[in-house]
Amino acid sequence: MNGQKKRGPRIEPFRHRVETDPKFFDKSWKKLHDAIREIYNHNASGLSFEELYRTAYNMVLHKFGPKLYEKLTENMKEHLEEMRTCVEAAQGGLFLEELERKWNDHNKALTMIRDILMYMDRTYIPTNKKTPVFDLGLELWRDTIVRSPMIHGRLLDTLLELIHRERTGEVINRCLMRTTTKMLMTLGSSVYQDDFERPFLEVSASFYSGESQQFIDCYSCGDYLKLAERRLSEESERVSQYMDVKTNEKITAVVVKEMLSNHMQRLILMENSGLVNMLVEDRYEDLTRMYTLFNYVPDGLTTIRSVMMSHIKDTGKSLVTDPERLKDPVDFVQRLLNEKDKFDNIINVSFNSDKSFLNALNSSFEHFINLNNRSPEFISLFVDDKLRKGVKEANEDVLETVLDKVMMLFRYLQEKDLFEKYYKQHLAKRLISGKAASDDSERSMLVKLKTECGYQFTSKLEGMFNDLKTSQDTTQGFYASASDLADYPTISVQILTTGSWPTQPCNTCNLPPEILAVSERFRSYYLGTHNGRRLTWQTNMGNADIKTTFGNGSKHELNVSTYQMCILMLFNSSDVLTYREIEQATAIPAVDLKRCLQSLALMKGKQVLRKEPMSRDIADDDSFSVNDKFTSKLFKVKIGTVSAQKETDPEKLETRQRVEEDRKPQIEAAIVRIMKSRRVLDHNSIMTEVTKQLQPRFLPNPVVIKKRIESLIEREFLERDKTDRKMYRYLA
Amino acid sequence: MYTPPTTSTRGRVRLNVGGRVFETTAATLAAAGRDTMLGAMVDASWNSGVHDDPAPAEYFIDRDPSCFAVLLDLLRTGDLHVPPGLPEATLYREALYYGLLDRVRSARLGGFDPDRLRLASSVHGRSPGDGVAIRAAPDGGCCVSHGGASGVVRVYNWMLQERRPVYYPSHAPVNDAAYLDASTLLLAARERPGRRDDDGGVSSFSALTGETRHRFRVAHDRQPRSFTATALAFDGGCDVFASCKGRINEYGVAVWDCNTGEQTGFFYEPPGCALGEADRLQWLDGTNTLMVATMFPRTDSSFVSLLDFRDKSVVWSWSDVGTPASLEDKHAVDAVATEDGRSVCLVNQYDDLGFLDLRKNAASSGGVRWRSRSKLATMSGGKTKTKKAACGEETCYPKLAAHGGRLFASTGDAISVFSGPDHVMTSTLRCSNGGAICDFSIGGDRLFALHGEENVFDVWETPPPPII
Repeated sequence: MNGQKKRGPRIEPFRHRVETDPKFFDKSWKKLHDAIREIYNHNASGLSFEELYRTAYNMVLHKFGPKLYEKLTENMKEHLEEMRTCVEAAQGGLFLEELERKWNDHNKALTMIRDILMYMDRTYIPTNKKTPVFDLGLELWRDTIVRSPMIHGRLLDTLLELIHRERTGEVINRCLMRTTTKMLMTLGSSVYQDDFERPFLEVSASFYSGESQQFIDCYSCGDYLKLAERRLSEESERVSQYMDVKTNEKITAVVVKEMLSNHMQRLILMENSGLVNMLVEDRYEDLTRMYTLFNYVPDGLTTIRSVMMSHIKDTGKSLVTDPERLKDPVDFVQRLLNEKDKFDNIINVSFNSDKSFLNALNSSFEHFINLNNRSPEFISLFVDDKLRKGVKEANEDVLETVLDKVMMLFRYLQEKDLFEKYYKQHLAKRLISGKAASDDSERSMLVKLKTECGYQFTSKLEGMFNDLKTSQDTTQGFYASASDLADYPTISVQILTTGSWPTQPCNTCNLPPEILAVSERFRSYYLGTHNGRRLTWQTNMGNADIKTTFGNGSKHELNVSTYQMCILMLFNSSDVLTYREIEQATAIPAVDLKRCLQSLALMKGKQVLRKEPMSRDIADDDSFSVNDKFTSKLFKVKIGTVSAQKETDPEKLETRQRVEEDRKPQIEAAIVRIMKSRRVLDHNSIMTEVTKQLQPRFLPNPVVIKKRIESLIEREFLERDKTDRKMYRYLA
Repeated sequence: MYTPPTTSTRGRVRLNVGGRVFETTAATLAAAGRDTMLGAMVDASWNSGVHDDPAPAEYFIDRDPSCFAVLLDLLRTGDLHVPPGLPEATLYREALYYGLLDRVRSARLGGFDPDRLRLASSVHGRSPGDGVAIRAAPDGGCCVSHGGASGVVRVYNWMLQERRPVYYPSHAPVNDAAYLDASTLLLAARERPGRRDDDGGVSSFSALTGETRHRFRVAHDRQPRSFTATALAFDGGCDVFASCKGRINEYGVAVWDCNTGEQTGFFYEPPGCALGEADRLQWLDGTNTLMVATMFPRTDSSFVSLLDFRDKSVVWSWSDVGTPASLEDKHAVDAVATEDGRSVCLVNQYDDLGFLDLRKNAASSGGVRWRSRSKLATMSGGKTKTKKAACGEETCYPKLAAHGGRLFASTGDAISVFSGPDHVMTSTLRCSNGGAICDFSIGGDRLFALHGEENVFDVWETPPPPII
């Protein structure tokens, strides 16, 4: 071609020299050949790099690149064959050492050969798509030595044998292992994987499968997991010591599969040492180990979680349905709280505060707490107990945390409205009898309920607090308005808004005339300042302090209920009274009267009255007189009422009825709200919507919902679709 | 050749190069790298016998001392200073001997500054046909495509030595060329009627050896078809685009994955857009779109569109179809998107620059804002007209390029550089011999300008910055 002719003169002199020296290549190659031999013989100090480099350069320049490359390949192969013989001849344990030595020699030599042939690497090789010299040397090593039939299997066996020995506790030469695996990696990741990693993983799998079979029969779950953990960390450490980092993941997967996945069910459910035992005995360490190990196993944590859940449900169920426990509500709730604390701790300490575990815990609690329909009552009683005694036994911070925990339980309740009902009752009792330990704690509890259930839930409870405050002001106003009240007994009136308070309809008893007079004055004062209101005395709820002088001359101040006051005031005018007489004079309902008399006459150490006969039950003809021998160390004596803390069965029934009654309008309101926005809806959708809306307060009974719908149809809020009876239509 | 040390200072190296003695430190030589001749020479593996010797090593190198002085200076300072009278080719040969050619290249090129360009050399081609297109390689080399029946593309390395030329299979005429990397060249060729089916199309070649690497195929309805490729673009990642014209009105833009070589999509020509015969494709990084420009006189009207391949849509388009007759004499003959991706710059046959705003709808933006006949037209006008008259109208329409925030436009025998937001002309590159510039390209820190008449191309470089 045109272009090549022009370039001709530049290469002509070379062509001349080739012609004049036909032995040019042979001579040059001999020089390199000898040098390479010296290099392999560790005798390179006498070689001149510049001379060799120039020789190779000239060969490439004179277009002997292909021939040089070919000769080099041939020559290197010869040297490697020699090395192979040496490696093959090495006996036993010396095999790896010999291989390592030869590998180092080859590497060193290869670097120097590459140096000499650098010019060829830069010019001839890229334009002719040949393997660079260094990579060529590695390839030759791989094919001539590592994959030669005599060495290939022996190398693998030796490596695996050493690893097996290390697994069984022997100390091996890790350095040698490292250089050997590193050599395989240098030869390419496929060499490492095919010639070492894959068989290594296979052998490991069978090793661990055997070991796990052997130990699962005789070890406890905890010990077995310890072993698995140790094996895992050993394998990790082994990889970091003398294998490719990428192997770590693979060998971990093998160990996990053989030791854990294959035995998962058996380990978790192992009798006397499995998960349930660990939970019961709070074995945090074992639990942590189980969590971390089964985290590797697919579905491992799910299994642990479901076993834990069914365990919590079982223990919870036996707790809430045990009739023994129902006797003491405070203890009942305390046990629930302890159970909750226990599992909270386990999850936080051992299960890494895993969200899914916390959710499982919550749903288990929700499940079993609602198995007992008295849980709302008991929880309210527990709060009542805490808020009564709060300051006495603990400071407010401790109380706060207890209340927070109770709120956790509260959240699990389905019948929150029932709780509200009880809470209202208990709160009313606390407030009226002035037993609320701390206003702050009461209010903080209220805030908690408000944040949990919203304004509606607590508005009435808040109304109770407001009533008390205005009552105080009103009483003060009453005394400020009239100056001639000093002769009368001092009264303190609490005006309770109807509806906010859990009032029972009650027949006012006959108050003693002294009290009656002042209370009538108060009535007229109150009605004078407030228009259009009605006052009813709730004599069943009040209390009184009365100064008493007994026959033996001892003076005491008695703190009694209003009923008790009425009874005692009778004795100002007569010494002995029969039950019937008292009943007639006071008009106190029989049940309450009996209870009052019991507490006045039968309470040990507080027998203000004497009863004839001294029996527990009160008959119509029993007579009572003032106990003149009454003594007490204290000046102020508090006479309690024999009152049931827990509700009696008929009361329970009554409360339940009332709750059911209260739910009706709520359900109706929900139905109307839904229908107003949807206009037309089928039966099932209404059911689900209503349930969804009311869930924060209680779980409505489908039968009740159905009845409410029918009632609404009767009252013409809704109508059934004429064609499709399943559909309801809203009537505006 | 190693000779016993004569002085007694550690770390010092004495080099006898072709009779001239240089003294330097082993560290200076080692800094060249273990993969260079000098680095290997002072490496411990070749000096095992003299480790404990406190005397400086002395080496004999049988090469030219004057070149070595330049290269040693390069190793010491990082700067390449070639004294006058030293042929560059000799220096490159010596650098290759020592394995320092890459260092020389990076010291030689680098720091492309559009405002400080200097004509480095003019290279005369030997092809019978005139060059039609020139493309800069990322490493500073270039290739020149020669139209006509030869189908040859001449490839030059960064030392501007000619490599083996690339011939498109069956010598199909080459329309466009693009470098995928310094050693891979992509060519688009024309399909000629009456040939066998695999004539024309798009193929990649080794820029080092000229051999074919891969043939990029186009299939319509899973049927492989032959086609004419008119323009190429590469998005710098893995997608290769070509404007394709099939035999049965299969016009559009094809996309291939350059790693697998497989076709990944075909954008068929929508009505009102000319995609299959584009003169220029340009990938816009900022918006992930491809600019397709089809210009007069290949078609009667000019079209510019932006394609989005993610949802196969035309996101923007402009054409001068139906422009008022008074403007008919102005035809856009080249287009380039500015680097900020905000506008397309056009040039017409009278060397006027015009702009299209890509952020506005082409119809509502009022079309091209042509700049009033600029200085550049008056400056070069006289000369251009005479030349054009002499060599015919078609040969040297102006061309455009955008690089480093500047716009470049070839006008006649000069290239003008426009800077700033208002595109003010800041410099003119002119080399009087060779006639009008028919194509130019910027890349690998060089600007290549191909002259239409004398089959010669100029290489413009930025000289090293002043010392102070």
